Amino acid sequence: MSERTFGDTILAVKNISLSFGVMKVLDNISFDIKQGEIRSIIGPNGAGKSSMLNVINGFYHPQEGSITFKGETRKRMAPHAAASHGIARTFQNIALFKGMSTLDNIMTGRNLKMKTNIFWQALHIGPARREELENREAAERIIDFLDIQAIRKKPVGKLPYGLQKRVELGRALAAEPELLLLDEPMAGMNSEEKEDMSRFIIDVNDEFGTTIALIEHDMGVVMDLSDRVVVLDYGKQLADGLPDEVRSNQAVIDAYLGVPHE
Amino acid sequence: MPTWGFRMSEVTFFIEVALSGLMAGVMYSLVALGFVLIFKASGIFNFAQGVMALFAALTLVGFMEKFGMPAWLAIIGTIAVMIALAWLIEKLMLRHLVNQEPIILFMATIGLAYVLEGIGDIVWGSDVKVLDIGIPQGASDYMLDNFNIYIEKLEIFAAATAGILVVFLAIFFQKTRIGRALRAVADDHQAALSVGISLRTIWVIVWSVSGIVALVAGIMWGSKSGVQFSLSLIALKALPVLILGGFTSVPGAIIGGMIIGVGEKVAEVYLGPFVGGAIENWFAYMLALAFLLFRPQGLFGERIIERV
Amino acid sequence: MTNLLNDNTLDTFPKLLLKHASQRSNHDAIREKDLGIWQSWSWAEAAAEVRALACGLASLGLKRGDKLAIVGDNRPRLYWGMTAAQSLGAIPVPLYQDSVADEMAYVLDNADVKIALGEDQEQVDKVLEIKQRCPQIEHIIFDDIRGLRDYDQAFLHNYETLQQTGRDFDQQHPDFYQQEVDAGSGEDIAIMLYTSGTTGKPKGVVLTNDNCVITARNGIIREGLTADEEVLAYLPMAWVGDNLFSYAQSYVAGFCVSCPENGATVANDLREIGPSYYFAPPRIYENMLTQVMIRMEDAAAIKRRVFRFFMDHAAKVGVKILNGESVSLKDSLLYKLGNILVYGPLKDVLGLRRTKLAYTAGEAIGPEIFDFYRSLGINIKQLYGQTECMVFICVQPDGEVFADTVGTPAIDVEIDIDDNGEILYRSPGVFHSYYKNPESTASTKNEDGWVLTGDAGYFDEKNGHLKIIDRAKDVGKLNDGTMFAPKYIENKLKFFSFVKEAVLFGNERDYSTAFINIDLDAVGNWAERNNLAYSGYIDLAAQPEIYQLVKDCVDKVNADLAKDSRLGKSQIHRFLILHKELDADDGELTRTRKVRRKFVAERYETLVDALYSGIDECHVKTEVTFEDGRTGMLEADVKISNAECYPLESSTQEAAA
Repeated sequence: MSERTFGDTILAVKNISLSFGVMKVLDNISFDIKQGEIRSIIGPNGAGKSSMLNVINGFYHPQEGSITFKGETRKRMAPHAAASHGIARTFQNIALFKGMSTLDNIMTGRNLKMKTNIFWQALHIGPARREELENREAAERIIDFLDIQAIRKKPVGKLPYGLQKRVELGRALAAEPELLLLDEPMAGMNSEEKEDMSRFIIDVNDEFGTTIALIEHDMGVVMDLSDRVVVLDYGKQLADGLPDEVRSNQAVIDAYLGVPHE
Repeated sequence: MPTWGFRMSEVTFFIEVALSGLMAGVMYSLVALGFVLIFKASGIFNFAQGVMALFAALTLVGFMEKFGMPAWLAIIGTIAVMIALAWLIEKLMLRHLVNQEPIILFMATIGLAYVLEGIGDIVWGSDVKVLDIGIPQGASDYMLDNFNIYIEKLEIFAAATAGILVVFLAIFFQKTRIGRALRAVADDHQAALSVGISLRTIWVIVWSVSGIVALVAGIMWGSKSGVQFSLSLIALKALPVLILGGFTSVPGAIIGGMIIGVGEKVAEVYLGPFVGGAIENWFAYMLALAFLLFRPQGLFGERIIERV
Repeated sequence: MTNLLNDNTLDTFPKLLLKHASQRSNHDAIREKDLGIWQSWSWAEAAAEVRALACGLASLGLKRGDKLAIVGDNRPRLYWGMTAAQSLGAIPVPLYQDSVADEMAYVLDNADVKIALGEDQEQVDKVLEIKQRCPQIEHIIFDDIRGLRDYDQAFLHNYETLQQTGRDFDQQHPDFYQQEVDAGSGEDIAIMLYTSGTTGKPKGVVLTNDNCVITARNGIIREGLTADEEVLAYLPMAWVGDNLFSYAQSYVAGFCVSCPENGATVANDLREIGPSYYFAPPRIYENMLTQVMIRMEDAAAIKRRVFRFFMDHAAKVGVKILNGESVSLKDSLLYKLGNILVYGPLKDVLGLRRTKLAYTAGEAIGPEIFDFYRSLGINIKQLYGQTECMVFICVQPDGEVFADTVGTPAIDVEIDIDDNGEILYRSPGVFHSYYKNPESTASTKNEDGWVLTGDAGYFDEKNGHLKIIDRAKDVGKLNDGTMFAPKYIENKLKFFSFVKEAVLFGNERDYSTAFINIDLDAVGNWAERNNLAYSGYIDLAAQPEIYQLVKDCVDKVNADLAKDSRLGKSQIHRFLILHKELDADDGELTRTRKVRRKFVAERYETLVDALYSGIDECHVKTEVTFEDGRTGMLEADVKISNAECYPLESSTQEAAA
């Protein structure tokens, strides 16, 4: 494989602090993500990783700091703005539309790509129908990409866990995001499923040039996949750098191997 | 003629009773449909659905009587009012109650019912009004001549309208982006937000659609028995319909309504004399109670299984 | 159509393709489900695709006699790769898509493959790894670019780019393609198929155009197939059956072949296509039946009762009706009602509603499975065949279908049985040779063209049908000298839905014993219904309740054997349930899922010894290969159980001697 090169900074968070009441969840966090890279956020349980993703996609509103996405700086993100500017995500505890089919879930991911108004939609004719077909094809490409043709029409609530994770990735991809946030995409998977998921993440990055921010517990996976890693512990930023640098960082080793936090 | 064991006229009579029950059932269905839509998309049990039907019918009559609008224009005007109402409900009520317990939202809709009733009273007056938008009235001669069965034309009209509405809603829900978004919101708020679905827009849409369904129900009931405040009480009959059909099922609302309609009419006529009548008033609730005991998810509702 | 069947000048596949393209240009030749939609190509379009690819291959230097390896799922482009190679007089060598690099390396090397056509990154990676060891591989072509964008080797070619090169080449040499096709003849080698072989290294079976085309045509004539058949190509392209049913017969008869979306969607695609002509090995019929039964167990009581009632009725009269025998009016009407309520919908679910002809072969099929499908009105028949003769040796004629025979000789096939009971045949399909293996060729095929099948069997006196007992070399003797036919008994065991696989031991032993693999679906379902908790295969296999379940099956087989004068002594005295499923990745099964008996016996020597000693538990350690190629150790305590043996019913012991 050729040397990996990255573009400009697509997202930068600066001095982010977030607290719920007296609990400080994130404390002065700053890092950036470059176009086309796979960036991991790691840390022990309760380090504030998911909160960080929630800040980026606008679910949580930090008290301090700023978020710069594609050159636009704001105090806080709103979920709708994040989605419409090209941030898609998956969730740690799978948040699929359980009663809907795989295809419908992925089509929902195309929500922002579809523009026809409610009038045409209600009549289900003309532009709305054409748009529906075009987007169906895009959804089918994702189904093909993720190799989930066999479950196209199945309600996702009845699928095994590993496949649900894959469908959720599919829904996020359907939005053709520029930045993809993955919250523990491999949690609860066996080694084979993990390998498949890693492959998909690399392929997404490779094939579509999607920038990926990843939270993951499995150190082996993180070190293999990531271009750069930022380490959080108890809401504080411990380290930021290449996987090898992070691996040999004493503070990181202490956080992982030192006194258990629980 | 084969020997049926009873006279043909008795069969005809039974069919007549059943059919008139069926038509009444369609009316229940229409109200229940409005409930289902809102419940499906937002998990809110909208106590004000019956009042919305009354409010829509009052507005319609008002537009026609006070402003002398032709029926079609008055209907368009009323639809506009219902959409504006949905927008206001989102703006003044739902927006401030995001992530609250279902019981709080339910209480809010009770409040909404009183507000709507009050506004209707103040703006349009509390007297009984006649609603005539040109739906054919009287008995169907065709049915009378050919089958010797007495049916109101209005009832046939109502049934047809309900049918069209259901087909329309089914396509809307299953095949369009907004329909999908509605189902997505019903399923998982956070996930819906993450794909860029705007909860507020969805709420406005779903309350508008259910307002329009309420208008249809209001027109049918109003044409039949006049627009009056008792109209809001049909909401109470919609409750057993929902229990029967399942809170989340559009076909369930329709079929549930028909079963209740037919059931109570037939029970009234055939069992009524033995228990002193008035079965119609409580039959629906007894049926609902039986369902709660044996099939709590209703006929078409999603089965509720608590996984261990 | 008939003119195509009688036209002897159409003796190669490229010629057949061109004929269809000119005579029936708009008819569908092949279909593939892509992006959720069935895409189809007419014969004319397919011919154009093949022509472009052939010219592209020629520009890469593929010449007469060169080998083109093809590896991947059933895809139109890969089938076109075969015809493109054949157009140039080159020889396609399809490989099993799930073979690991080592297995593939042997074939690529042995076959002197010059160019490899792989479906996707997975296959290309394997070939790239092999290329280091097999320098004769000059080029690699891939169909799906996914994951391959960063590969910059000059010898890697995109299928589409190559076709474009081919079109340019074609423009510069407009007569080239036709000349190459015209140069081909019936005696030319059409294809090389590697037999997986239950022992030793795979052998390349060299088949000529005549072998393939004539055999395909004879099959079509015997069954009255037409250009309107619908076929689903879902079995491995490397297997002779797929080559016959989805390629050779399609080109000869002109029917359309559909390629499934991927391996996991086959059941669904089957339903959508509704093939009229279908082949499946017995295990697929078994799986389908198991799925149906499991679904019915979960169905509502009333549905179950209706199902049972009509299935019982079908069992009573269905086979008779299919065989054209007369039944009473009441039975006939009831069967028609059943067709509306049960059989029709069931066949729809299975995808077999339109099936006029379904074949099965490769292994013995359980009589009740066989009868189940036939009673539904599906004309499923057994055939007996080999790679060495392009499949057909025997086929069951319509109306003469029995669960325990393989029918009468196919058109132009002669059959003989030698003194050892081994079956020999001679036919137009008899292979040219084993590639680069004259010894094997000579020991299998004599100078008169007779081929030894390696199977032992005899003609049934009642109906003149051939009956197969076992592999000739597997038929052994117990220490008391009576015949020991392991496969025959294993098949009896496997007819129970709980038993997935069985391996029998007994040759030169005092009594016979068995390894059992339980069927995780069927036994797991049974366990759930009986509130038996288990955590996986190993756990389930060790449960005493499951041992009892399997013991019942073994006991029944023993009772059955006791009635057989020849095999009564082979009753199973002791058995164990193996702690892991036999797996092709571990070398225990062939890629076509046949047990490698010798390998298994050696690998689990301690267990075999335990079966013949008095102990009732044995500790084993086994190395296993995971799907990603990594290995690990599996440890378990395997229990050994005794089975019930019955006194022989017939006293005609001398018959066995």
